[in-house]
Amino acid sequence: MAVATASRRSVSLAQARTRRTRFVGYLLLAPALLYILALVAIPFFLALSYSVRDVSVTNLSGGFVGLKNFSALFSDPTFRESLRNTVIYTIVSIVINAVLGTLLAFILLENFRGRRVVRFLILLPWTIPIALTILSWKWMFDSQYSVLNWLGLKLHLYALLDVIGPHLSHSYILLNTPQGVQWLGRGAIAMGGVIAVNVWRNFPFSAIILLAGLTSVPPEIIDAARIDGASPWTRYTKIIVPMIAPILVIGLLFSIIFTVTDLTIVYLLTQGGPANATNVLSVYAFQVGINSGNLSQGAATTLFLTPVLLLLALFFLRQLRHREV
Amino acid sequence: MATRTLLRAPAHAARTHARLNRRKITNRTLLYLGVAVYIIIAVFPIYWMVLTAFKSNADLYNPRNFRLWFNLAPTFTHVAYLFQKTNFATWLVNTYIISFFTVIVTLLAAVPAGYALGRMRLPGGDTLAIAIFLTYLVPSSLLFIPLSRIVTSLHLQNSIWALVLVYPTITIPFCTWLMMGFFKTVPLELEEAAEIDGCTRFQAVRHVVLPLSRAGILSVMMFAFTLAMQDFIYALTFVTSSKAKPVTLGVVTDLIRGDIFYWGELMAGALIVGLPVAILYNLFLDDFISGITSGAFK
Repeated sequence: MAVATASRRSVSLAQARTRRTRFVGYLLLAPALLYILALVAIPFFLALSYSVRDVSVTNLSGGFVGLKNFSALFSDPTFRESLRNTVIYTIVSIVINAVLGTLLAFILLENFRGRRVVRFLILLPWTIPIALTILSWKWMFDSQYSVLNWLGLKLHLYALLDVIGPHLSHSYILLNTPQGVQWLGRGAIAMGGVIAVNVWRNFPFSAIILLAGLTSVPPEIIDAARIDGASPWTRYTKIIVPMIAPILVIGLLFSIIFTVTDLTIVYLLTQGGPANATNVLSVYAFQVGINSGNLSQGAATTLFLTPVLLLLALFFLRQLRHREV
Repeated sequence: MATRTLLRAPAHAARTHARLNRRKITNRTLLYLGVAVYIIIAVFPIYWMVLTAFKSNADLYNPRNFRLWFNLAPTFTHVAYLFQKTNFATWLVNTYIISFFTVIVTLLAAVPAGYALGRMRLPGGDTLAIAIFLTYLVPSSLLFIPLSRIVTSLHLQNSIWALVLVYPTITIPFCTWLMMGFFKTVPLELEEAAEIDGCTRFQAVRHVVLPLSRAGILSVMMFAFTLAMQDFIYALTFVTSSKAKPVTLGVVTDLIRGDIFYWGELMAGALIVGLPVAILYNLFLDDFISGITSGAFK
């Protein structure tokens, strides 16, 4: 009898202790969760609500208008162009970025002298804030003093272009103005410039994430495959890629997010110009929502960025389920 | 026949050896060539920045000059101009104040949250951890429009405090995730031993767990600082008066007057701010990578 009471008491004591621990645990979590709730979740729902109402800086209490903002966007040529540019910008950047990043990861996997210094130098595009380095690019693309044009002349690349250009395309003429290429003055070339900066900024990131994956593959497995006669390509596609797939996907999704939602590069390099040829959704949303004060149209524009986020959320939830199993 | 084979064997081996050696040398050459190409791509814009920052205007804007090196003596006029004729010093101070408070707020929120998620096995803890990590991926370009209203209604527009308020939304999720990882590496037994020795849980955390997680806390501080420095969109949206700008915004907006670009000053400003960030970031890079990739493994 006494023993039973004692054990029952210790059980309830343990329960009380667990309950208290839980309480303390959630208390410790509270500041972070509240912060995120107040300044990420609420603004997100605010954006949703703006997008189905008619709200501007001067008229904050605009009423419900349904999907009018979205249909207005689709009949807006600048929006359509921005949407198209965002897709092109993202796909082209990501593909080049993946190729350059993968090659670099394999290079960094090798053992050679001065690896740490090399890593520091190659990561500079990623570690220095892009709002600062973009200035150097703008200066390199300058219409009068472009160092790239100077290099092109000195290395006789433009002379070469004059020879082979006509065989390639008639539009090569666009390249050869007397001052050299007008990097940011022509739509297609400006888009190329924006993509170049994006790739320059992000390939080091892709490489280090991939490198982290590659170093997690036990070398014995690779050696065994090599002894069995698997070619480097087979080893990569059939063994390494499946093993590091989760990391690859994470790296890829991060790169997509960084590119789709990026405002800084386009805003500071071209402002979306010339004639909206490089305008993307985030910059357009800024022009509409902040510069013109049309909060509803701006919010509706940014919501076109959410499908990508949704994809990410799904991926992580799947990861979570795998972990629980 | 047998002797001939035997005699030939060493020669054959030597030839194979030489071929392997040659292949190794080719591979090495290719490797260094690849490294060189990557370094040139990565570093050239930075090199161009350094060069411009210290070139005199007479040197910069003379089209006949050799552009990849100094033709006239290097100069500090651009740096001096920044500090004497612009608000550069104010922007630097603003950035340090903003960063300081961002770091404090981040620590206050992320360290306890990381502890709770990493060590307390709360019901629903894993889901919360994933949810917090997901908010790291909610981009600022999705939130800047509604946040601009929130900032205005709090009367924080054109103030550095708007950024102190908002930057922790970028830093808390990632830093919580990082701290969680660090706390997991401290053995639970140590904490339990301290409790058995008569410490309260709080004392055990303070005297045992936190000292052991010092590297993690330091790393979180660095990231709160560098992640906040990477922002541009929030500063651009919330702050328009020059006196309240952080340095990344001030440099790009105030040193460009209409069509006139002060390239020397722009590059000098970018360099002074950017290089220290790059060095800090690099020191803690391994923690950053493990923070990102731990979303994939486990």
